[in-house]
Formats: sequence, C-alpha cells, structure tokens
Amino acid sequence: MVSDQLLKPATPEERRRYYREEWDVKDIPEFISNSVQKREFGFDHMGRGPNDRYKVFRSMDLLRKFLRYRAPFAAYSSVAFYEKPQRRDGWIKSELVFDVDAKDIPIRECGCQGVCEVCLNQALEIISSLIDTLKGDLGLKDIHVVYSGRGYHLRLFDESVMTMDSDVRGQIVQYLSGAELPRNEYAAEGVTYKLEHFTIPFGYPQVFTDRTRYAILHLTPETQLDEVNQKLLKDVMKNRELLEDNQWGIFRSKIGPQRYLKLIRSIASLNMALVDAKVSIDLKRILRLPSSLHSMVSMKCTEVKNIETFDPFKEAVPKFVYERKS
Amino acid sequence: MNKYSICMVNVAFINPFSDEARQIVREYGNLNTIYQENGDLIQLVTRSPSQDISDEESIPHNIMDLALKRMEWYVKKRNNLEFDYRKYSYLYNRNITNFDVIAFYLLVQAVSVKFGPNSRESRVMVEAQGKLMESRMGELLLSEKRDILGTILNTLLPREVKWTMFADLLSSRKIKLTDLVLDQGNIILDKDYFMENLGFKLEHRDPGKMYDLLIGDKIKELIINRMIMQKTEDYISEVYQKSQRQVEPNPILLELADKVTEILNQPMATYGYRGGATGKVEASPLNQEAFPPCVKIVLEGMKSGGRNDAIILFLTPFISYARLYPDVFRRNTTLRVSDVDPELAAVEKEILPLIHEAAERCTPPLFEDQPQEKVNINAKMGFGMHSEIELKHEGETTWYTPMSCEKVKLHLPSLCKPDKTCKSIGNPLSYYIHRLTDLRYEEATSEEPGEESKQESREE
Repeated sequence: MVSDQLLKPATPEERRRYYREEWDVKDIPEFISNSVQKREFGFDHMGRGPNDRYKVFRSMDLLRKFLRYRAPFAAYSSVAFYEKPQRRDGWIKSELVFDVDAKDIPIRECGCQGVCEVCLNQALEIISSLIDTLKGDLGLKDIHVVYSGRGYHLRLFDESVMTMDSDVRGQIVQYLSGAELPRNEYAAEGVTYKLEHFTIPFGYPQVFTDRTRYAILHLTPETQLDEVNQKLLKDVMKNRELLEDNQWGIFRSKIGPQRYLKLIRSIASLNMALVDAKVSIDLKRILRLPSSLHSMVSMKCTEVKNIETFDPFKEAVPKFVYERKS
Repeated sequence: MNKYSICMVNVAFINPFSDEARQIVREYGNLNTIYQENGDLIQLVTRSPSQDISDEESIPHNIMDLALKRMEWYVKKRNNLEFDYRKYSYLYNRNITNFDVIAFYLLVQAVSVKFGPNSRESRVMVEAQGKLMESRMGELLLSEKRDILGTILNTLLPREVKWTMFADLLSSRKIKLTDLVLDQGNIILDKDYFMENLGFKLEHRDPGKMYDLLIGDKIKELIINRMIMQKTEDYISEVYQKSQRQVEPNPILLELADKVTEILNQPMATYGYRGGATGKVEASPLNQEAFPPCVKIVLEGMKSGGRNDAIILFLTPFISYARLYPDVFRRNTTLRVSDVDPELAAVEKEILPLIHEAAERCTPPLFEDQPQEKVNINAKMGFGMHSEIELKHEGETTWYTPMSCEKVKLHLPSLCKPDKTCKSIGNPLSYYIHRLTDLRYEEATSEEPGEESKQESREE
C-alpha cells in the first residue's frame, strides 16, 4: 500500500538534499552519459515547465556540478543528437521513444484522479506488450525502459530507426498501439474471403487482437466508448471471460457481428492513446533525465533493469520521503 | 511471327527503371523525332485488343501525343464517371513498351524541369505511373505476373527484406506498416519462410492457402508498385536538381509540361470538379456550419490536455486558411496572409476573435496561465514572434498549413470523432470545402421553391 507520504511534491530543501546526499552522477544511464555532448538539456527551476532550454554540457562532471548546485525542480535531456546542441542545430538522429503515462491510459481500472499503484502497474503491463511487438514483429533491439515518475518511457537506440522521420514514427505508433482496424477481407485468385483479426495469429492482426483483448478485459461499467451504449458495454463485460480462453468467435457471435464491429472500431480509436503519440513523433523532444527527481510526486526517474520485478514504490522513492513527518 | 502479335512481356512495360528500359532509352536516339508521325505507333494503337477508337483525336500520332495520353488516361479515369478505358486500351498493350518508356522519361523530365518535385504536375505524374502499372499488372496472365514480380523483386530487393528499408515509402504513406506481414523485422514475402515461421501458428486452416490470402502476389505487387512510384518521385527530384544547374531547358520539354498542365486543368472545367469552372474556391466569410467535427470540438473549448496544440497548431492554421485560402492544397501555391487580406481586416475582425474565444473557453482559459501563447498564434500565421500582428513582420515565420487528419489522430486523438463526410477526406480543410459546396448547393436548390411558396401564400 502506498504511504501518505508518497506522491507529494518535494520542497526546495528536499530537492537540495536529494541532489547533494543521495543522487550520484553514475546513476545516469550510459545511454545518456556516452552522448552527453550531443544532447540538449533543459531544466525547470520553479515548477512552471522546462523553460531553461538549450543547455549543453561538455562533460558529465559539469552536468553533475550543475545538478548539485541548482537542484532543479525537473531535469530533461533531448532525445535528439545534434552537431550543435546549444542551437538545436545539425540534427543527427533521435531515439525512438514511447511514453506511457499512467494517468492517460485510456481504460483505467483504478478510477483514481492522478496516479496510483494500480494504474502504474497497468502502465508497466502495456510497456511490456509494446516491447514484445517491437522485438517480435519489428525486430528492434537496444530497448531501455525508464520509470518517469508518473509512467514509463521506452527508449530505443536501434540505429535502423533512429534516423526515421516523424511520419514513419507515427506509423510505428499506430502499429504498436493497435490503433487501426485491420482489414477483414482478403482475396486470392478472384475469390474474396472474410477473415477476422483474431483468426490470424501473427503480424498486425495479432497485435490488434492483443490490444483489444487487453482493453476489453479492463473495461469498467463507467468506461465511456464512442458508439458503445450501456447495453452493449454490459453485454461485453458479461461475455468477456471468453477472451481469456481466446474464444473470440463465440464472443463475437454472443455480441452480434454489427455490434462487435462497433466495439472494435471504438477500441481501435481508443488504443491510439495507449502511448502519447506527440512524444514519439517529436524528433526534438526533451525527456525527463533518468536519475533526476520528479519533484511533483517526489519520485526518482529510474532506469528499469528488470521489468518483471520492478516496483517503483521500492526502487524509485528517494530517502527524504521516508524521513518526512506524517 | 507477326510484329504486332502478343509477345513475352518485357519487364520495362512495368518497370521503367529496369535495365531493359534504360537500354530502350539509350537506343532511342534523337529527341526531335518525338514530334514525327510514327506509323508503327499508330498501327499498334489502332490494332490493340479491345480498342474502341472512332476518332482521330483519340489516336496518339507520335511519342509526344503518347506521353500526353498517358496523363489524360489517368486524369479522366480519376475524374470522369463515364471514362471509357477502350479509348486507351493501347496503354495496356505490351507491344507498346518501347514507345511507352520514351514517353515516360519525356513526361518525367518535362514536369521536373518546369514545375519541380513539389508540384501538382509531379504528384499526378507519380500517381499516374503507379495506377498505370497497377492496371497493366491486372491485364497480365497469372503466370506472367508472377514471372514479372519475381524478376523485379530480385533486382530491387535482397533476399531478406527488412521493413526498415522502406522508411521513405512509409514516410510518404505509400505503404502502411499495418498492411505488411512482419516477423522479426522482416517483411514476409517468401512462401517457404511463411510456412516455416508462421504457418504452424494457424489452427484449423491450411497454411498454404493462408499464405496466398495474406501475402500471395498482393503484397509483392504493392511493394513493387510503391517502390516504382517512389523511384519516379526521386527521379523527378534528381532531374530538377540537375536542371537548376543548366542555363536553358529544352523547349520541347517546356511545351510538353504546359500541355500536361492543360490536361490537369481539364477536369475542373469539364467534369464539374468541385469548386466551379476554375477550380478555385475563393476566400469568403467563414461558415461554421461547414466546420468538421474536430474543429467544432476545439471551438467549444478544450476541457482536458492538449489545449496549446489544439489552439495553436490545429485551430489557428485551420481558421486562417478556411477564411483566406481554402483551396491551398489544390492550388499548391504558397501565399502570404496579406496576399488575400492586404489590410488584415479579416484577420483582426474574424480570424483572431474566433481563435481567442476558443482559447478563452478552454479549461483553464489558455491565456490565463499562458499569455505568451498569443504570440504563437501570430507566429503560425506568418507574422513572427510578436505580440501584435503587423505587416512589417510578415514572413518572419511560416503561415502553417492545416494538419492532415493523420496528424490530428497522432497529435490530438481526442478530437477525431469522424462523421460520414470525414470518410472521404484526408484534411479538415478539405472537409470544409466539401461541406461548403454542399451547403451552397442546398441553399441554391432550396431558394427557388421557397420564393414560390412565399408568393403563393401572399396570393392566398
């Protein structure tokens, strides 16, 4: 259970303590330290957004001194590598990034107003399924997961995608999140056959099936879906156990083909919000610096070494939180 | 064998970038002969299977004519409901390959030199090439088609085809990632690979049959088609770059380019293309009834996240273009706001108030906590980063064109609540023109009976 002392904003004094007593420059992952000179850094000193931009550091030691001395409210670094990061000029390449924010997950079981253990777990489940698709379908490597404080970032350093433009990244987001209804008519030698997505156990239809199953199994009576009325929602929830055994055909016939189409169309458009597409397609985005403090919730932005065992409430809570008086 | 009987299909008939096609170009000789009456060509045209040509005008007499007929075929096919393909059946005749390749290169060079890669002419040229290739493939025997697909794939692609090789095709949306069958980063084209790595996952279905349905020839054809379109596009850019270094372009090419423009303008005048006889949609006061659902949502005020993007990146370009330059995508010419609104009266009295009101309706009101965003609105209309809109600053920034539907879905997914009209358009601005035309038509057709009924009631 999350203690009352967690997820509260950090005071300026707590920030200073964090950067002087707990934080170590070695906590910054190698994927940042080995490219520090190529990246733009940005800082939020007052909690009003990262308006101290275009910062560059010639070495990790200078970055260490800056963070120790300024103890910013938030610290960020660019996903882009530049020839001249001080002017965001001479773009070389950008990490491919996926941002899953717990509070923006389209169907949340918890119903909390901000972020809680339940929706953070859900975010991690989503991240895990995205990784499966990135590796299995798209064959991508060099994937890092970072707990951002309110969700997770997936950061890819696979050279084959780092020079891709926003439009290709947009297509990758659509593929990964299952945001497009797969076609259900296929033709060969003049004859057209109907094949529902769940009958094709690979490629994009399988991705769509996985994301749709996940959405349906997480529906709550309060979930609002376009084109899905209360009666349909109720019927879906009543029959959804069938999907746990992959009995899609029976599920579809219980719902009815027309209503099933409405349901999956609606879920496809909802899936688009599984990841924040704006972050993925922005080649010059700045992302929270791993190891820095998310002062709004008093959590450490932490690289996730083992996704199976990671628990943000054990591994990303700064010491000062435990010393707060209740 | 008769010279004009059916022969094996030359790969150049489908792929004008093949070695065979390049050989044809090398052997052609003098460019000036393209104007000369070509008896072989005329005979081929008039003897093409299923042709239905009853007038001289429909017959290309030389290579120049053939080049224009290629464009005319596409434009008519796209715009004319009564399009008669039999008048162009020679374009599907494999025996035409030698002349066709020359016509292709002439066209590409003409549109590149005169209009450059970002022009309407170049775009239509690329689309026409894709469509022609598709139609030609459709006319081949299955065995021929498979041979050709195999030959072209072998020359264009390595054995293992990674999806990352198609970044440019994905970027221009010529192919969609979701249309491909992917496994471990490979696009599955090969049947053996499919059977070995994916086929076993299928339950109660014949893997061979599933391969034919899911991949078969279709994906190969799609990839080849889109690669040739992309190569055409790249070639246009290449020729354009070279032409910039030349002093004087060949007048033959310039003349051909002008004739291509004439053909492209025909549908607007002949087939009642939306927008009237000139194809232009003039600047006029905004009609909010014609706004698409996404714009209406923003005008009501954004209640959750995405306020800034919705007002600055989405609404500002939409409202300004809808009011001042609604057919920007059709006319494909860059304008400044003051070219249409020299006194900036519409900007001050109609455009800005509408955008500012929408910003005020947001929760919380956008300018309350981010007053600096007013400057960004001015910037997106091309007036630089200044708090007031002034002509002296125009051009310091770019007048942003409205986001496409694809971009809206990515940036602001909560705005996309498509209605019936949305299905046929790709940009909210096109929706506006579409609905505006419909509303004007409805108004025009409902006015007359209305007048009559008023008169009738007066008479009573």
